[in-house]
Amino acid sequence: MSTDQATDTSQETQTPNTRPMTRREFLLLIGGLGVGVVAADQIWRWFMAINDPHAQAEHGPVEGPYWAMAIDLQTCIGCERCVHACQATNDTAEGHLWNVLLQDDETFSKPVFITRPCMHCEHAPCVDVCPVQATYHREDGLVAMDYDRCIGCRYCMVACPYGVRVFNWEDNAGENPSAPTWGTPEIPRRPRGVVEKCTFCAHRLDAAEERGLTPGKDRAATPACCNICPTEARVFGDLKDPDSPVSKALQGRQAVVLRSELGTNPRVFYLLPTEDEV
Amino acid sequence: MLRRGNLFWIWIAALVVMIAIGLYTAFTIFSQGLAVTNMSDAVPWGVWIVLDLSCIGLGAGAFTISAITYILGRKQYQSLARVAVFVGLLGYSGALMALIMDIGRPDRFWHGWVYWNNHSMLWEVTMCITLYFSVLLLEVFPLVVEHPFFNRWGWLQNLAHRIHHFAPILAIIGLCLSLLHQSSLGATYGVVIGRSALWRSTMPLLFIVSAAAVGMAFTVHLTLIVQWFKQKEIVPTSVLFEIGQIAGGVLLFYLYMRFWDTTAGTYGYVPGRSEAENVLINGEFAVNFWAWEMILGGVVAAALLIRARMTQSVSALLVGSGLAMAGLVVNRWHTTLLAFTQPLSENPPVTLPAAAPYTPALTEWLTVLGVISILALLFSLGMRFLPAYNPQSAIPEVEAHA
Repeated sequence: MSTDQATDTSQETQTPNTRPMTRREFLLLIGGLGVGVVAADQIWRWFMAINDPHAQAEHGPVEGPYWAMAIDLQTCIGCERCVHACQATNDTAEGHLWNVLLQDDETFSKPVFITRPCMHCEHAPCVDVCPVQATYHREDGLVAMDYDRCIGCRYCMVACPYGVRVFNWEDNAGENPSAPTWGTPEIPRRPRGVVEKCTFCAHRLDAAEERGLTPGKDRAATPACCNICPTEARVFGDLKDPDSPVSKALQGRQAVVLRSELGTNPRVFYLLPTEDEV
Repeated sequence: MLRRGNLFWIWIAALVVMIAIGLYTAFTIFSQGLAVTNMSDAVPWGVWIVLDLSCIGLGAGAFTISAITYILGRKQYQSLARVAVFVGLLGYSGALMALIMDIGRPDRFWHGWVYWNNHSMLWEVTMCITLYFSVLLLEVFPLVVEHPFFNRWGWLQNLAHRIHHFAPILAIIGLCLSLLHQSSLGATYGVVIGRSALWRSTMPLLFIVSAAAVGMAFTVHLTLIVQWFKQKEIVPTSVLFEIGQIAGGVLLFYLYMRFWDTTAGTYGYVPGRSEAENVLINGEFAVNFWAWEMILGGVVAAALLIRARMTQSVSALLVGSGLAMAGLVVNRWHTTLLAFTQPLSENPPVTLPAAAPYTPALTEWLTVLGVISILALLFSLGMRFLPAYNPQSAIPEVEAHA
């Protein structure tokens, strides 16, 4: 035990396994490793399958309708009704908005109002970063939250390129400042300590089929913000259906998505203002 | 000697007071929610995340020094490795304490273990930190049960002896886990595509190299302080000089990487990134950036650490390692908060408010002090009472079981 070398030599003389490996042993070892890797892979897949109740971002193109929203910067008058309707319907706390009104004085030749819901990105940074899959892609491709799973780490808020996410810093115990004037709460309040965001009024979309309604066309199946808009600047619907309000709104107009350079592929399209009118 | 002894108990009493205040504040946070902090939707991460990152970065000495000792087989560093694993265990405990306060639902802390998202850097960090915490527990366990108090349970000491046999294996596992999570903590920021101040692939490398350097320096720093208190050696001074010099060299390498990362990253105009860099170099963060990250905690610290061995200057080693530690903490502060000084997108605006200033609330500071006090208390008691750190009263040196 005096020096390392002494230890090494003593080990060599003691251990019987110093002879070189035979071919048979080598092949068995390689074969065993191969079987082990395949088994581990299968176990991993099986584990991820039972562990992954929420559809993952990697799933292929979305089947069924492609929900999208168009917001016309030309006709938006900045009345904030969509902000209030959202707050009333989704029962969010004071100053705790899923849908906000912003003003942009610089981008265009005239000041425009930009209202901003969740973009429901195809490649959503929030879905990638959530450590517990509390935020995930639904079957229809919308980005949803599982409030029972969220641990409140707020990484999704750091990651969201659009700042759409809000955290419940405290209990939402007060009165809803927008209800009942602008709508009636339709979903339960979320507990303290979880992150939440715009859902495209998914509870209305989900009820649409059994009620025989078409989202975008029938008001009861359309997001509250679109219904209330007095200038029809906000419309919703299935982008695969050429007759849907959103498809019609996009026809013949120049549209952009926010921060397109990030490749997130949002479902919210902004129709650019035209120069000729006010 | 008596006065020094009194000093120890005064120190312990002060720590207990700080812990009591910290626990009370933590209680108000758990009962009232995170609304009592100064964090907001615009600044969702604050000083607790800085504490978490600093604790993990400063605890990195455990894996580097263990790797040198047990994997490279440099048994002369074993006495320092024993300090390092203790510091590491405390550092990771501090990180876990900071995280449990920071998450909005502490009752769901276990969700990361059950609901996996293997795309998430934070999930990877959660898994690695908890696994590595167990490794550190196994590494520290034999040092604790060495204490004569545990003589009454012979099986415990037998178990400890067996665990110590696996020191090299534990060092390898620790090295792998640390190489994963120290860098993926940087990647946690580096993968945020929406914030151009953060989105850079160098982030994981910068994190692990700075942690490797400063973790070693910090262990040396604490050892020097303990030795001053005890007025006796627990680690041979030559070992401290050598590890200090290695730390200085790695720190220099980190500064070199940082230099090229910054220089090459300034070409072109990316909205938000140039503005953030300006905040760091000329703006609000500039004084701390230049003073602590670059000059004192960077170049000066590296120079002192490298030169200390040549000049056999203990004070240079002490000051150099202390400055390096400050540099790392300030760096983690800047990394966490720089991005929040910038709006996500100016043109067109996408958020309201665009960006918000952040100064930690008193509640946040008091809990930070509370966590640090808990760590300092455990460290002080460990250094005072564990035989591994009191060589004269210790049972004979447990030699390397190769």
